[in-house]
Amino acid sequence: MQGKQSVAVMVALLLHATAAGAQATETPNLLFNGFGTVGVIHSDEDQADFVPNIFASDGAGHTRDWSFEVDSRLGLQLTTNLTPRLSGVVQVVAEQRHDDSYSPLVEWANFKFDITPDWSVRAGRIVLPIFMVSEYRKVGYAIPWVRPPVEVYRLVPVGSNDGIDVTYRTHFGEATNTLSGNYGRKDVTTASGGKVRARDGVTVTDTLERGPLTLFAGYTRTRVTIEEAQPLFDAIVQFGPQGAALAERYDADGKHLEIMRVGARYDPGDWFVMGEWARSSSRTFIGDKRAWYLTGGYRFGSVTPYITLARARVETVTSDPGLAVAGLPPPRAAQAAALNATLNRLLGSAPEQQSLSLGVRWDFARNFALKVQFDHLNLDAGSAGVLVNEQPGFRRGGTASLFSATVDFVF
Amino acid sequence: MARSKRITVVGCVLVLSLALGTASAEVVVIVSAQSPVSALTRAQLADIYLGRSNRLPNGDPVVPIDQAFGSAAHDLFYRDYIGRSTALIKAHWSRLIFTGRGQPPKAVPNDSATAEIVAENPNTIGYVDSGHVDIRLRIVPIE
Repeated sequence: MQGKQSVAVMVALLLHATAAGAQATETPNLLFNGFGTVGVIHSDEDQADFVPNIFASDGAGHTRDWSFEVDSRLGLQLTTNLTPRLSGVVQVVAEQRHDDSYSPLVEWANFKFDITPDWSVRAGRIVLPIFMVSEYRKVGYAIPWVRPPVEVYRLVPVGSNDGIDVTYRTHFGEATNTLSGNYGRKDVTTASGGKVRARDGVTVTDTLERGPLTLFAGYTRTRVTIEEAQPLFDAIVQFGPQGAALAERYDADGKHLEIMRVGARYDPGDWFVMGEWARSSSRTFIGDKRAWYLTGGYRFGSVTPYITLARARVETVTSDPGLAVAGLPPPRAAQAAALNATLNRLLGSAPEQQSLSLGVRWDFARNFALKVQFDHLNLDAGSAGVLVNEQPGFRRGGTASLFSATVDFVF
Repeated sequence: MARSKRITVVGCVLVLSLALGTASAEVVVIVSAQSPVSALTRAQLADIYLGRSNRLPNGDPVVPIDQAFGSAAHDLFYRDYIGRSTALIKAHWSRLIFTGRGQPPKAVPNDSATAEIVAENPNTIGYVDSGHVDIRLRIVPIE
């Protein structure tokens, strides 16, 4: 609801400002662009689902043998240059959501003002540059793979946030450095209907480009609250000091979450290699995680085969003895055991896996790319990896193979 | 002897005409004769055409003029000067457009339209088949 209203307001503002500006100078113009992906994916694991993002409730594997929902999406964008220094952008994206609907969400909606050619500020909804391709991760045509490596890109599922950012560009010799700082907040609804709130989020990134080489580093710190887990910890604290200690260690009630990452890309034109490493840490049940990927491809004219290796690990515990049941009266003991089970389900849901992906991109027509990708997931012992919706017949720690085919387009 | 000389002459004419033919199919970077630009490096040219810089090395603003996607001049310019296929250029601009960071340079339909705009606007830069360079324009050496 709120999203729809803000799109309407933003579009009205853009149209109004464009019309007003058109009379004043010849700069203002309204540009319409779009992107999309039509994709199909098959998973050979029929006892769990591979989902498009951690908020989706179902996907390929158990729910559907072949799913058209995981990678398909449509994005539409309006851009206006009100003056040579002031521009506005609104982008809405329709894709599978937590409730299985395809209602469009506002991905971007901000005004950008260039103070000087090298200083700019933006205010509004901005997609955070968490990882190197985060800002355009949904534009299939703009990325080499069917989807960004899930091991790294699902560490931080929240893409956009509402706030302000400042960007400063410096040029020295043949190199360009871009330093950017962002402050904002964001709410996201998960598959179970609960909200994840990120507050006081600060993101600082630096990108250094010199010819074919790009180096990237970033740091984000935010306070995170996960509503879904609140009833669990509210019940746990009823168990005296040991309950309070558990909540202090694992609750996600406004505690800090930090993400550090570095990345590099080398792309001289005929081939490319790229890699990113990331660490997320918090004193919550989310725990401390590490992930990396390494990818590369060679361009034979319009055909680009590529390979990706990726790994996701959890550094903190994935299980906990929880509340001491011994000595409690039977009804309390049963309640404590149930709470312990829920806590351990949360701790054990962190994905630990490695994967090997092989794929080919074919730029078969102007503005269109066809991609075919094969992923082999190797789940760590005791982990379901990135798979969700585990069925009774699912065996953790096994393997799963995915086959995806997509057509990406831009206009 | 006489015969082999004639063959040599014919050969030279052939080579010369081939060389001329190649030269006239060459794409060159142009500015207005009034422009202060004397030369650019490949990296500076790439920065201007890929949206990384909107200024000349001396600090003056510059507006790049592009040709239509799929035209021969466009393909040759991006292959020979920027070192990227047109599909890669399209992907590059998709990254900037869909993050609100910029729009590709204004594209005009052909060489003569490029020559007209660049001749009349000293703050622009363009590229044309070398056959379209006239007195109002200057070829920019790309180092």
